Amino acid sequence: MTEPDQAVRVHIYERFVEDGRPPTVAETAAALGLDETEAASAYRRLDEAHVIVLAPGTTDIWMAAPLSAAPTPFRVETERGWFYGNCIWDGLGTISMLGLSGRVDTACPDCREPLVFTVRDRELEPVDAVVHYAVPAARWWDDIGFS
Amino acid sequence: MLAFRSEEHVKRWCESKGLDRGALLTPEQQWYLADAWYRERLAPDWRRWTPAEAEAIFAGLGLVGDFWRLRKPGRKPG
Repeated sequence: MTEPDQAVRVHIYERFVEDGRPPTVAETAAALGLDETEAASAYRRLDEAHVIVLAPGTTDIWMAAPLSAAPTPFRVETERGWFYGNCIWDGLGTISMLGLSGRVDTACPDCREPLVFTVRDRELEPVDAVVHYAVPAARWWDDIGFS
Repeated sequence: MLAFRSEEHVKRWCESKGLDRGALLTPEQQWYLADAWYRERLAPDWRRWTPAEAEAIFAGLGLVGDFWRLRKPGRKPG
């Protein structure tokens, strides 16, 4: 990743965490003193490098893992506000990225019973659950939305 | 990566979706994987894990085998 793209990446994450939504290309361009074409190109390069995920056919950020710009079944409360994670891995990752403690509220896809994963001081509290990975690691990026 | 109440619920859900069962993690394995993977994501010098680094993180949690392999198998000598 080049230095300018890293600066764009850092800005995206900072704004996402502070605002609860990712910045648009125009907002990033204005903040970093870029023209919008440069900022859009940086967004596309970060997408191609699997650093962020753009909504198909747009320069709108869909995912900046572990965060999701769209509502998901993984609502995360952290020390710095609440967010949506892309999956249970990312829900717990959001807690790790933003502090020491938090909780992920989700539900069993089979029976719809609520499941709560609580982390306190970087320790997961006991929870009666299992986590299922449907797709082998080498194929996660074939369809990251499904994975 | 979805959380279920039990392995039985995974089995039933996979059957209802016509999916093969994949890999199962304990909640603790998932937490440690998430923590190792994302803890430094906001750092200004963050970079993506290389496939070898990612596989090492998986292996440290006992996640080994074809399901967790990211690198293409090397050619055998001779």
